[in-house]
Amino acid sequence: MKLVLVQMAEDLNVGEASRVSKDWLVARRTIRSVLPSGVLWGVVFGVFVASSAFSYSSVYKTQAERASLASAFGANVSTSALFGPGLKLDTVAGYTAFHIWLTTAIIGAVWGITASTKALRGEEDSGRWELMLTGRTTQMRATFQALSGLLGGVFAAWLLTAAITAGSGRAQQFGVALRPALFFALALVATALMFMAVGALTSQLGATRRQAATYAGWVLGASYALRMIADSGTGVHWLVWVSPLGWVEELKPLTYSDALPLVAIFLFTLAVGSAAVVLAGNRDVGAALIQDRPHARARLRLLGGHFGLAIRLVRPVLVNWGIAVAITGFLLGYISYAAGETLSRSSMYSIYSRLGASGTGIEVFLGVSFLVAAVVLTFVAIGQLTATRAEEAEGRLDQLFSRPVGRTWWLFGRLSIAVVVLVFFGVLSGVTAWLGVAVGTTKVSFVSLLEAGLNIVPPSIFILGAATLAMGVWPRATATVGYSLLSWSLLIEFIGGIGAMNKWLFDTSLFHQMAAAPSVPPNLTSDLWMTAIGIAAAALGLVAFARRDLQGR
Amino acid sequence: MVDPAIRTEGLSKYYGSVRALSDLSLEIPQGEVFGFLGPNGAGKTTTIRLLLGLIRPSAGMAEIFGLDCQKRAVDVHKRITYVPGEAGLWPSLTGEETLHLLGRVHGKIDENYRNQLVKRFDLDVTRKIRTYSRGNRQKVILISALMSRPDVMILDEPTSGLDPIMEHEFRDCVDEARERGQTIFLSSHILSEVEALCDRVGILREGRLIEIGTLEHMRHFSALQLEISFAGEVPDLSSAPGVSVVKSGGQNVSLQLSGPVKPLLEVLSRYEVNRLTSREPSLEELFLSLYGEGGQSDETGAGADG
Repeated sequence: MKLVLVQMAEDLNVGEASRVSKDWLVARRTIRSVLPSGVLWGVVFGVFVASSAFSYSSVYKTQAERASLASAFGANVSTSALFGPGLKLDTVAGYTAFHIWLTTAIIGAVWGITASTKALRGEEDSGRWELMLTGRTTQMRATFQALSGLLGGVFAAWLLTAAITAGSGRAQQFGVALRPALFFALALVATALMFMAVGALTSQLGATRRQAATYAGWVLGASYALRMIADSGTGVHWLVWVSPLGWVEELKPLTYSDALPLVAIFLFTLAVGSAAVVLAGNRDVGAALIQDRPHARARLRLLGGHFGLAIRLVRPVLVNWGIAVAITGFLLGYISYAAGETLSRSSMYSIYSRLGASGTGIEVFLGVSFLVAAVVLTFVAIGQLTATRAEEAEGRLDQLFSRPVGRTWWLFGRLSIAVVVLVFFGVLSGVTAWLGVAVGTTKVSFVSLLEAGLNIVPPSIFILGAATLAMGVWPRATATVGYSLLSWSLLIEFIGGIGAMNKWLFDTSLFHQMAAAPSVPPNLTSDLWMTAIGIAAAALGLVAFARRDLQGR
Repeated sequence: MVDPAIRTEGLSKYYGSVRALSDLSLEIPQGEVFGFLGPNGAGKTTTIRLLLGLIRPSAGMAEIFGLDCQKRAVDVHKRITYVPGEAGLWPSLTGEETLHLLGRVHGKIDENYRNQLVKRFDLDVTRKIRTYSRGNRQKVILISALMSRPDVMILDEPTSGLDPIMEHEFRDCVDEARERGQTIFLSSHILSEVEALCDRVGILREGRLIEIGTLEHMRHFSALQLEISFAGEVPDLSSAPGVSVVKSGGQNVSLQLSGPVKPLLEVLSRYEVNRLTSREPSLEELFLSLYGEGGQSDETGAGADG
């Protein structure tokens, strides 16, 4: 921190000779910060495209197989509501676009929100923004520059996605020319662009980075819900035009390539970004347009010790996650009948069965849905650990550990809360899925859905344990270890779901170790192993944490 | 025999090849106010974090009331409180919630004294921490440390961010703590504060303790400040025995004198002296004489955290 401030102070106090370049200091600092993640996601998106295309072409070799897939899957309204409509699924390009667009769109949006709230409200929270504004800039100009820097990150992601797509498109079985490849890459990073602007705007509204990210998250959630309703076949497809995710869907890359929605995307980005810049110029540094109440009545009930404090700190985030898990569980349960009925007649069944699901169409659909819920739950687990690490990194633990609080008990308390939350969310997803199923049909029992809900907990316990071990041994890598394990498992599932994959490699995915309940019974042996390894890793992490120096950022 | 409040022996901390603290041995008896001085990067904060058990020593040991600061950290913490220069607090809690939490975590607080401190430091405890100025956040930490009436208070730049009135209030609180027999370990850059409050002072340089003792003791062994006004010819005194840092302007000369006074008086007796005043050095002058006029030491090898 000191070094950063010294470097900034040096950068800001430069002579007139370098005035022009120094006027773009904020932009350069932002681009330096966002470029690594831009490069990373550019490569990941590109690999997604290439792996999806080549896996499809190797599995669906004949035109008949491809036509069968297209006829069954393309007409499935429920799947269309969840993942968007499938167009030209009998072509490699059409299937690839359908297969990855929503995943990349959501990842891009989350990245955009994270990056822009970090670069704007996060810098303001830390006090660095104020220091920066003592240089030759204003709040408005600095915000504009930060947005320009963020744009550089999106450009890097687009460039790499486009390069890998164009490179792989040269292969005969994919067959995508340069222009469609560039357009497809643009569609894949479009949400990052739009939600960076949204994050910039909410950074003006929220008093803290967390608030800003929460507001932007609501926009993303609303955008997804609107698109889902629009694609649900209920005659309100026009709603797709009021959702940023809907605009990306309407680009129809690699199939009908419609550039018109680009106008909406660019206008939206420009309007929201400009609003952020103007609002920044019209408020005090450190202030927010949605004012946080400076005073509050003391609520002392949970503040009798470090354990209660931990509950108090994580409660708001967990309530948001809980609502998301409950709504998702209910919706998946609700559409499972229609989706499952269609699925049982489609060749998607074989893809899902490669992910370990079997049984009736409804059960297979629910099995894969719980796989998605398992991914969400690992995000919760990693989020809990990164929040725990932040307590140390931001120096708040000094106040607790200079009082009679044992390190081991403190971390054990945080982990216990995380485990209880994970189990609760597992149960919640099972119960809400059952409620959703019960509203439509009662073909799946409550017990099997409850089992399926609990079945998604072990992978997140494993990741929680691994991240705890990282926190004990190499604290700065806590989040990296968690997200790397998650990304790897996702990538393996992603590729393995499409085509044949080496068994050993497939087994390295945590989600593949998890049985696709309720379509098949939970694999207790595998669940116990994942849980046991997670607990053992957490125990080692606890020991290491108790023995090492506390470390800041 | 009564255990010293704080005792270290050969306490050292290395970060790779960087020496943050080397072979620190000191003993602070109960009831003493001990000042800990040194420029940035000298190892003061490292020492404090070792005493608190927040970091592990590379060698040596530290004890508080005979309890090992590493192995018996929780027992040690029952008897101490700590005030950092800039505290990390929970932004969503109010001042009152924070004081309640820290008091309950510590296990013992004097409620009346806490309320009294809140008034004395003029703190609005209904505000959320994120809305406090730096000075107000520092008040929260100071009150939380004082309200427990611990046996030992470890203070690291405790008045940073406080206005002069609050600084004065803080000094009064330290005086009261001393009267109650509490031990205070005070690391500060405000030398007047240390001079006013501390019974003994230790000075660190590049991770090593280079001076320790009472101010009287240090003054006794350090240079005397002399101001001489001549009526006629002004001699060059720079070569006189024991004389250093000579500054002259017109008929006046100021200098520092180490060792016996007699040789200088013999030189001066040959000139017409109007006035000669002498005084002992202030802590600031002592400090600067140990580090050079700029107050900067060669920080090679020392820790970066103070």
